[in-house]
Amino acid sequence: MMLRVRFHGRGGQGAKTASRILGDAAFNDGYYSQDFPIYGAERRGAPVAAFTRFSDGEITERGFIFSPDIVGVMDDSLIDDPLANPFAGLRKGGCAVVNTTKRSDALLADRKDATIIAVDLTGMALKMLGKAVLSSGIAAAVARVAGIGESQFLAAVAEELREVGLSEEMVRKNVELAMAVYGQLAPLELRTEELPTKLELVPLAVVVSGEGMEDVTRTGNSAVRHTGNWRTFKPVIDYEKCTDCMICYAYCPESAMSVREDGRVAIDYDNCKGCMICLTECPLRAISQTMEGGTR
Amino acid sequence: MSTATRFRTLKDMPKEDYLSAGNTMCAGCGGILAVRIFHKVLGPNVAWVNAAGCMTIAMSYPLSPLKSNWIYTAFASAPAGAQGVRDALDVLVAKGKLPVSEDMKVVVVTGDGAAYGIGFQSTAGAIDRHLDFYYLCYDNEAYGNTGFQMSSSTPYGSASKTTPPTAANPIGNTHKKMDLFEVWRAQGAPYVATLSNSHGVDFLKKVEKGGTVKGPKLYIDFAACPTGWGYDPKDSIELEKLAVQTGVWPLKEAVDGVVKHTLVPRSLLPVKEYLKRQERFSHLFEPAEMTDVIRTIQSSVNAYWAEAGAREGFSVKVPDSA
Amino acid sequence: MPTEGDLADDGGGHAVKGKLLTGNAAAASAARLARVDYIPAYPITPQTEIIETIADWVREGTMDAKFVQLESEHSMMTAAGTASLAGARVFTATSSQGLLYAMEMLYNVSGWRAPMVLVNVSRALAAPIVLEPDHNDVLAARDSGFIQLHSETCQEVADMVLLAYRVAEDSRVMLPAIVNLDGFYLSFTRERVVLPDQKGVDSFLPPYQPPHPLRASQPVAKGTAVMEGFVYSYFKYNMHAAAVRAKKVFSEAARDYKELFGRDYGPVEGYRLDDAEYVIVMSNSFTTLGRQAVNRMRERGVPAGLLKLRMVRPFPTEEVVALLKGRKAAAVFDQNLSPGSGGILFPEVAASMYHVRDRPQTILPVVGGLGGKQLTSDEMTSIFEEMIAVNSGSKPLAPMFLMRSEEMAKVKRAVALAEGGS
Repeated sequence: MMLRVRFHGRGGQGAKTASRILGDAAFNDGYYSQDFPIYGAERRGAPVAAFTRFSDGEITERGFIFSPDIVGVMDDSLIDDPLANPFAGLRKGGCAVVNTTKRSDALLADRKDATIIAVDLTGMALKMLGKAVLSSGIAAAVARVAGIGESQFLAAVAEELREVGLSEEMVRKNVELAMAVYGQLAPLELRTEELPTKLELVPLAVVVSGEGMEDVTRTGNSAVRHTGNWRTFKPVIDYEKCTDCMICYAYCPESAMSVREDGRVAIDYDNCKGCMICLTECPLRAISQTMEGGTR
Repeated sequence: MSTATRFRTLKDMPKEDYLSAGNTMCAGCGGILAVRIFHKVLGPNVAWVNAAGCMTIAMSYPLSPLKSNWIYTAFASAPAGAQGVRDALDVLVAKGKLPVSEDMKVVVVTGDGAAYGIGFQSTAGAIDRHLDFYYLCYDNEAYGNTGFQMSSSTPYGSASKTTPPTAANPIGNTHKKMDLFEVWRAQGAPYVATLSNSHGVDFLKKVEKGGTVKGPKLYIDFAACPTGWGYDPKDSIELEKLAVQTGVWPLKEAVDGVVKHTLVPRSLLPVKEYLKRQERFSHLFEPAEMTDVIRTIQSSVNAYWAEAGAREGFSVKVPDSA
Repeated sequence: MPTEGDLADDGGGHAVKGKLLTGNAAAASAARLARVDYIPAYPITPQTEIIETIADWVREGTMDAKFVQLESEHSMMTAAGTASLAGARVFTATSSQGLLYAMEMLYNVSGWRAPMVLVNVSRALAAPIVLEPDHNDVLAARDSGFIQLHSETCQEVADMVLLAYRVAEDSRVMLPAIVNLDGFYLSFTRERVVLPDQKGVDSFLPPYQPPHPLRASQPVAKGTAVMEGFVYSYFKYNMHAAAVRAKKVFSEAARDYKELFGRDYGPVEGYRLDDAEYVIVMSNSFTTLGRQAVNRMRERGVPAGLLKLRMVRPFPTEEVVALLKGRKAAAVFDQNLSPGSGGILFPEVAASMYHVRDRPQTILPVVGGLGGKQLTSDEMTSIFEEMIAVNSGSKPLAPMFLMRSEEMAKVKRAVALAEGGS
């Protein structure tokens, strides 16, 4: 039996570490195991993915997991992010573990064939670690669902977090968090089946029918990327207090602020990444922050 | 050279943005902010020539945050790429094949890895040929795009992925930051300036001033890097300000080789105030404060300002380094 | 005194005498005839004469172009590529180490679809450092996406440069091109060259008009990063298709060229192939020695012939097949060496023939002329003799690595001097 796990997170949330904790845990538990991140130019806040496979026989797969048995979603804003598409290819009878404050039945209504588990990992991490570190929590949820032994799993948490340089105190707190998450859930009997797909190879003549030159002639077209999804906190301008000094506008690295016709600064929430430089720099404290919904 | 400026306060910052929202840089990136502000002064007609670095990834097919022209060349040869563009525009205009209205400002944009290291041969050639171009270096003091390895710009005492502090080598990077400003100046570049995004008016004025000079123009922007330096992105401008206020990052320019500090602090804050806010220097404070290392950094800052003051006739009150 | 046969036709029905030019001068002359706008340059033996000649012409005002000397071939190729993207017709030249130093940029320039023309004057690669030619340099660029045209004579050098611009800049191609000529054997050899007239060249080669040059009024982003393999694959497959199309475009251009200037070029050229049973396949300047060997074998009554590869990229598979099928045996003469494999062109020729029913029974790999090692007539005919012997079953097939006994004796003396002892 092989289980294929795909973790989805945002750059900086620890998807890679989660995949490694699970990889170690499975290895400690006697499985063949394999883990890897997608190695791109990932940025803090940008969607990233990492993978773990483990099996009681030799693993004859490699690379991207198109048909996961389990997906671990570290941030529920990824669900609607077409760049992440976390549930893509999730097998029939598979399981999705989602870090969210929402109810599980609100998450994936059109997939009655899969088990959706909602856990507020961010809430637990904030309470137990003092910050929203998610790798051990999501790994714990997935490990438990997948039926990996507790002691083998907890050893893996400590091993990996020491490796990334966490202090002994943080390692201990993470192990406690992992135990708490692990204890909340129960193993699932996963009998999964790949979703039917139909392979259609495109002949070269179709591939090369265009001009085929890598030119971007619609320059300045990046606003469709909607980097607003990266945001943890949302800056809000209090126009009563704002004196239009333009300091926030000047220091916005994103061009996510513009000056309206009436001379007032407006925030483009579709693309504001929530760096909060504007909040720090506003001399009149006319900008405040609110937590984004869901897991945040 | 013109001394009149259209920039007196931040309110004078041009309201046109030639950088669109939705780029892929980290939240709080100082580098992309520098590009945004720089572009505002240059106006729309720009050809950017880039070397490998974080900014390369900002321009990922099919989306281009920049509204102007862009070529990614290679790690080592962006200035040569600028040479090709500049020469082609010149020769096409001279031959009457291109209207002058199609002419552009040619701007190399790279990180410090390319500017201080792998691209330096190409840079030296471009300065030597007196190529009419701008070089904007967003300097985050390490190879940030590959995960923060040391570059020739990494300061003494900084941790990096290739200079990790260990029991045997507790200081981190033991090399002094290379002085790119002086290298360009010595080679005869007519305009060389340092920038900090936190000092926006100074920034705007320098780009404006350089625009009146024909030839190679270097701008080294102190580009705060939340991911590499280890701090909350909201503090990017604060850290840049601290670098200026502690004297770690002097704001200056050299016109035809003559150096002038464009901001002379009356007194400097202790470097500690700047260092302790960043993870890359945390080994200097935890588990025990490495007072000798911090003192070395402070005294090199003090010596810099003493020498600059002596040359330019100012004095700066410096913190105790003893 | 020229005979009637030495006189070429200028296309207008006028016989022209031509003049003695080196291969380097022929390359420079063709660049001037092509009305190139921009020449970024860097010196290296044996190419340097090309850029010196052009520098002279630009400075004296007989060539209307901008000449800039860069600080390395890597920078030179970068500037060449970006200038081409900005809409200038670009020419440059290099050799050997210079081509390899620029190698990173070759892939970039072709990926940018910047159709500049690069003349490579072949010189073997260090170490050991040597000045004389072989083709490891130009074949190192084999997979870069550049069109490759290889020349046998100084005349061909000039003609290939002009054809290269026409093919490279064609909207169906938009890829850069390398024109190769051998160092010393062509670069510094003077022989008769008939240069096309400017009016003819102007009608043959229309102005360079790329679809999306860098422009203030219509900005474009070039060479942007791609984050996904399938997008990368899409652009690479398109480069491949463009390179494949280049063969047809070359044939069209060659037809026009013949009409204007009287000289006929195909992607390959056959010599005495009509009834040939034994064929040597080769390229570049030593092909002349191959022709001589064919003639000598013919004098002995052996039906020998020669197939010259003029176009190396795209590889002219169909032409090779058409001219080799039905022959008894072939030999591929590689003036290059991939250590651990052998000659570089041999597998390409052999692969072309693999699925052909009446392919030659024997395809003999031959390596020779490395580092400009000179070849005697007997050495060349020995290739045919080996081919015949292997094909008749009197000798087993084994790759030939040419070295004469008197050369080996000199090597032994040199090694003894270098290492001491007796």
